[in-house]
Amino acid sequence: MLLSCLIGVPLVGAIALGLLPLPEQEAKPARLGALAVWLVTVGLTVAAIAQFNPADSQMQLLETVPWIDRLGLGYRLGIDGLSLPLLALNVLLTGIAIFATGDKIRRPRFYYALLLLLSASVNGAFAARDLLLFFLFYELELIPLYLLIGIWGGDRRGYAATKFLIYTALSGIIILAAFLALAGLAGFQTFEYGPLLAFVTGMDSPLGGAGLPLGTQVLLLLPILIGFGIKIPLVPFHTWLPDAHVEASTPISVLLAGVLLKLGTYGLLRFGLGLLPGAWHAAAPYLAIWATVSVLYGAFAAIAQGITNGDMKKMVAYSSVGHMGFILLAAAAATPVSLMGAEFQMIAHGLISALLFLLVGIVYKKAGTRKLDALSGLFNPERGLPLVGALMVLGVMASGGIPGMAGFISEFLIFSGSFKDFPVHTLMSMVGTGLTAVYFLILLNRAFFGRLSDRAVNLPSVSWWDRAPAIALAVPIAVLGLLPSLLSVWSEAATNSLAAIARLGIAG
Amino acid sequence: MIDLLLKTSWLVPCYGLFGGLATLPWSTRAITRTGPRPAAYLNLMMTCLGFLHGAFAFRSLWGQPAQSLTVPWLNVGELHLSLILELSPVSLGALELVSGLSIIAQVFALGYMEKDWALARFFGFMGVFEAAIGGLALSDSLLLSYGLLELLTLSTYLLVGFWYAQPLAVTAARDAFLTKRVGDILLLMGMVALSNLAGSLDFTDLARWAPTAHLPMWQATLLGLALLAGPVGKCAQFPLHLWLDEAMEGPNPASIMRNSVVVACGAYVLVKLEPVLSMSPVVQGVAIALGTMTAIGASLVAIAQVDLKRALSHTTSAYLGLVFVAVGLHQSDVALLLLLTHALSKSTMFLGVGGVIATTTCQDVRELGGLWSRMPATTTAFLVGAAGTVGLLPLGMFWAMYRWMVEPTVPRWTLLLLLAVNFLTALNFTRVFALVFGGVPQPKTRRAPEVPWPMAVPMVSMTVVTLLVPLMLERWQLLLSRVTTVTEGVLMLDVPLMVALVMSGAAGVALGAWCYLRRGAVRPVRLPIAAVQDLLSYDFYIDRIYRLTVAAGVGAIAQITAWIDRYVVDGLVNAVGVAAIFGGEGLKYSTTGQLQAYVLVFLLGVSGFVAIATLSRGVMPF
Amino acid sequence: MTLAPSNPPQPLAQLPLGDIIDRLLRGEALLLDGPQAVVEVVGVLHSYGIVLDAYSRNLIYIADNTFLQLFPFFKYFNGQISLGKWLKHLWHDRINYEYAEYCMKSMFWHGGGALDHFVDSPEFRRLARTAIAAKIKSNPLIQGIDRAFPEFLLEQVRQLAYYSALGQFWRIMSDIFMDLSAAYDHGQITQIPDVVTLIQDGLVAAAATPVTYGVEIGGQRYDILPASANLTFLMDTAVPYVEAVFFRGTPFPGTISYNAQAGQVPVAQERFSYGALYADPLPIGGAGIPPTLLMQDMRHFIPPYLHEIYEAGLRHEDDLLVKICVSFQKSMFCVTTAAISGLAPHPLTSTVPEERSANVAYLTGWMERLSHSQIRAANGQQP
Repeated sequence: MLLSCLIGVPLVGAIALGLLPLPEQEAKPARLGALAVWLVTVGLTVAAIAQFNPADSQMQLLETVPWIDRLGLGYRLGIDGLSLPLLALNVLLTGIAIFATGDKIRRPRFYYALLLLLSASVNGAFAARDLLLFFLFYELELIPLYLLIGIWGGDRRGYAATKFLIYTALSGIIILAAFLALAGLAGFQTFEYGPLLAFVTGMDSPLGGAGLPLGTQVLLLLPILIGFGIKIPLVPFHTWLPDAHVEASTPISVLLAGVLLKLGTYGLLRFGLGLLPGAWHAAAPYLAIWATVSVLYGAFAAIAQGITNGDMKKMVAYSSVGHMGFILLAAAAATPVSLMGAEFQMIAHGLISALLFLLVGIVYKKAGTRKLDALSGLFNPERGLPLVGALMVLGVMASGGIPGMAGFISEFLIFSGSFKDFPVHTLMSMVGTGLTAVYFLILLNRAFFGRLSDRAVNLPSVSWWDRAPAIALAVPIAVLGLLPSLLSVWSEAATNSLAAIARLGIAG
Repeated sequence: MIDLLLKTSWLVPCYGLFGGLATLPWSTRAITRTGPRPAAYLNLMMTCLGFLHGAFAFRSLWGQPAQSLTVPWLNVGELHLSLILELSPVSLGALELVSGLSIIAQVFALGYMEKDWALARFFGFMGVFEAAIGGLALSDSLLLSYGLLELLTLSTYLLVGFWYAQPLAVTAARDAFLTKRVGDILLLMGMVALSNLAGSLDFTDLARWAPTAHLPMWQATLLGLALLAGPVGKCAQFPLHLWLDEAMEGPNPASIMRNSVVVACGAYVLVKLEPVLSMSPVVQGVAIALGTMTAIGASLVAIAQVDLKRALSHTTSAYLGLVFVAVGLHQSDVALLLLLTHALSKSTMFLGVGGVIATTTCQDVRELGGLWSRMPATTTAFLVGAAGTVGLLPLGMFWAMYRWMVEPTVPRWTLLLLLAVNFLTALNFTRVFALVFGGVPQPKTRRAPEVPWPMAVPMVSMTVVTLLVPLMLERWQLLLSRVTTVTEGVLMLDVPLMVALVMSGAAGVALGAWCYLRRGAVRPVRLPIAAVQDLLSYDFYIDRIYRLTVAAGVGAIAQITAWIDRYVVDGLVNAVGVAAIFGGEGLKYSTTGQLQAYVLVFLLGVSGFVAIATLSRGVMPF
Repeated sequence: MTLAPSNPPQPLAQLPLGDIIDRLLRGEALLLDGPQAVVEVVGVLHSYGIVLDAYSRNLIYIADNTFLQLFPFFKYFNGQISLGKWLKHLWHDRINYEYAEYCMKSMFWHGGGALDHFVDSPEFRRLARTAIAAKIKSNPLIQGIDRAFPEFLLEQVRQLAYYSALGQFWRIMSDIFMDLSAAYDHGQITQIPDVVTLIQDGLVAAAATPVTYGVEIGGQRYDILPASANLTFLMDTAVPYVEAVFFRGTPFPGTISYNAQAGQVPVAQERFSYGALYADPLPIGGAGIPPTLLMQDMRHFIPPYLHEIYEAGLRHEDDLLVKICVSFQKSMFCVTTAAISGLAPHPLTSTVPEERSANVAYLTGWMERLSHSQIRAANGQQP
């Protein structure tokens, strides 16, 4: 029941916030309500972690309720070492988002209800063990996010929200098509992950058949790649992301970069590599190229933002594009080491990009601009944002893969695990890591070093309440960087088993 | 007890880290009503504790075989990563050198930075700096060393950019980070390749693996070059040397560390990697070539510098070039000896430089002069440091150079290189000494009282230490195992070699004195060809070359990417899709009128169900 | 003080800062008058007076009691050493006397005035040598160093003379500022010209106060700056001090590169413009900005009426040091006005045409120096 509760509690909370007769304009009651719900989900997550057996590579905490049997649709939940950390990340970042939301938010009840709905649906997507159920949650998550960008966003929120919606809805439909086709090939008996995998590989398949021919697999993999490629996003499907980030408010950006992009990479690992290993293996060399292009493209686009004195948030958004490319590279190599790197990168990037967006958000809130040419000297201890600057140094260094922080571990594991199969691509991606330092140094040097710009000479104080969420993210970034085994023990069995599935693809 | 101190000597670098963390209440401005000096005292205290701890460990390890401490860190698949520390006389000695110099630099900073309200942040950085260098001294795994080298890159960035509102310091910090990072990334590439090829990243394992690896030559060469790049950046070797010059924008106490032990870190890793590098003769050739080029080039550049700190920092590059040559020739012991003697004497010189700057508010050697009679500690520190850095008097560097040249396997041309570097450095130091301390007082040196004790005590201490280096070398000959010792070298008594060394140094001093100290000498001396002088004083225009090539290239690619992003990728999408369907007036969303949007969303959601239902009816057989 | 020679008469509006010359000729100050300006100036000078009192006592203590001590560990204790005081000292809960020494060194380094000439005179050399000989007669090591580096101890004695001289100067300034504060509390100060007048009167009254220095060694007194040298308060400490600290100063490492090749620091000391009237208040509190120490010292003595104004700002206490510095700069323009007025060839408000044109020429020289100062910013105007 734990997993259902993890979905249900925020869902019920969202409905309650929406319906209860709380004062409409006052943010505090709604905020407290959301926090209470969040605290319960934290407790549930801790319970789930306590019950989870890290040595077991299989799905755990299983829940099965037959739903629409005729469609093969079942309410089947379960988590493994791949999804558990992401689930925990989602819960953590939901809390950060609630904390980072200002007091003067418009329509607070609706806002917090949507936030909880978003959290519930993402939890559902990570816990779904059924393709169709995953898709339903994947679609469900779009609605609150779309509204959160579209209502509480910046000046061009309408454009950005619509663009986001079109892209991701398209992504959903393409994925749905692939899922339906796969289930159809298997005779529409079930949408459950396990049997479908067996059907594809032809090993011990309860659905019969001797495995899916490679050509069919590739045809199925293509829509999955494009669908999740939009969500991740990979070049050239990425242009919705910078717009969405620029227009989204800070807490929403935190969630968008922190967890929602991970739905894409998670989907790619689970339903691309994990479901169609044969096709994956065939596509891997091209995927590695795609990954490298994404990495370098994201990095250079971010540098362009830097040298043209662009928007800090756009820069961080493009850096996300680059950093998500690493995950595709790792997935293409599909070795135990690289997959652990991918898992690590999902968590590390979730924490780091959330931190960076939070900090950019504080700068924006205080200085009223994110333009690099309007900002300088924010390190000034008296009138600038010195502690925000210090945390920013930590954040960008973590993002740039400086050892001692989580980003390095993931990058090292990815590179180390991918080098054997794709040496050139790996080396090119490492150049991307080096370029990360270039644009983030531009960001630091322009915005934080130098004399405080005239525009920023009279900024409001930053309170410890503003800083607390950022500090709460900085701590795990450093801890995971120093003690990576804290995370790897939970995922090792799962990533190993995923690597084993990938080897099936090679053998087949 | 002693055993416990030895077993826990991995803690020694951590003391610096704790000290750095202890500065947080002041550096984060949690405490503002009182000043930041307690942070400095705490940091200094931790460093002293570390020094004492290390000293006890060093004593108890004396005469014992090296020990190693292994901390399992991360196991993923076939990748087993451990953090390994080697406790040997060499590593603990290096650690003591680092802690000792850190104490010196910190006490000096108490005086030098007394008017700086960001003292806590400075000492915090110094603590991290010291921890990273100390950790490198002990590290016996490439992974750990790499991590610490990167941490060093970061703390260099922070220390050089300490005066964050000073524009040149900001660019210097950026350039320091990026040039070092270029080396680091290449090193990371080498490390990733090595982890796949050798299956381990421990130096001991690598040393065992390398002779039996039999890699294809191109592979071994590429691998070696990548591994070489990290130390090239760290040691400020051509072509990644420009950062050291710029890093002189940072506060002088950090420059003391930077010109002695920080640059040595890269060379230390290089020494550790020597077995892997020697798999390819090309790599050795490259190491020797880069070292030679830097040694000669930087020595010449140093002579053309008018900035006091830069005139010395380029000689640091030059001496590290010699170290590169020594490593390239498989003379690790000589390399370590050079590093040790250079670190001690160069830091003594930089203490003197700090005294001059603190007193005169000036770094321009052309505006200085006549300081000697009023600043005894500063003058002596500079003079003794200089004498210890060149092979002239029987101080540290003389014996290190001598020890190198008596090695039977050393090729003859290295003697020429060594004599040339020695000559040029002696000339440069004489020039600087004559301009700064000799001659008559200039307007800016008219009032030059000697620095107060927090700066004078470190100077005098290091002066004494520099003078004692030959004794230490003699006594600690065990430090350098495997090969003939210094004393045996002395017993060989290669008189012509000694004479050659002394003569090269003396010739430099004589030429410098003739140019700058004789009556009526023109100051400053201009070379007959102005272009050559400019070429040298602007360091072969290396920063401009980088700006026009690498920086411009990256910028151009970025601009092209941005253009493609805007007009091709996004433009296409907007033109075909979004703009056409939703660009119209009908769907302009305001905060209140969201209806269309809701409808769209729910339609999309429902369409999914409809799709399923239709499919299930049409296709499903039941 | 280096002042420009008289210029041919020109319409005021064409001169640099012509509007300010016009104001000064009407008996107003460099700083624009206004109720808040008065509160800021008086309040900050109140705390400055208290800090200067501590600085001056300590400088004089160091000069008198740590004569040629190599390790004056407790030089900031003014002779009152106790465990409690030492612990407070370690906790850095104290006045930052380093700033006083910084000003002293600045004054010593820039020189100027009769004091500067005197410490180079044979007379001084003789006096100092006698005192040095008495001090080191039982210390062969120092005697040896003294022989090898003959100017070493002499230079230290010169520096100690400046310690004492600045201490004596600040002693008087502190009293003037405390008088000002008391007068304000009694309601006698209502506008900026009142402030200027009071300071100017104080300076004029103390102008001829002699500056002397001597130390006691082994029970015997040794004159270093004898009364016969005729060093006086106004011309030999105040004027060089204003030149060295208000105008020239030293480049802050936090904003200026010392790199010789960059050439950011002028070769000629006369062209230095890093002093209190020029410095940008915004970086105060950051790294490498020495005046932060002074602002930090003053923060403890800000009177409540001024503190209220600071508290009302957007950042409350967070940017206190910058706000103090802004006020401090305003007050220093008042002190400068007093100095300008006091040194003027004729009373500035004179309407006699010859006197007036002489005054204009005199003020033009000042304004040329002040044209790059922060006076516009202090008056809330665009530069």
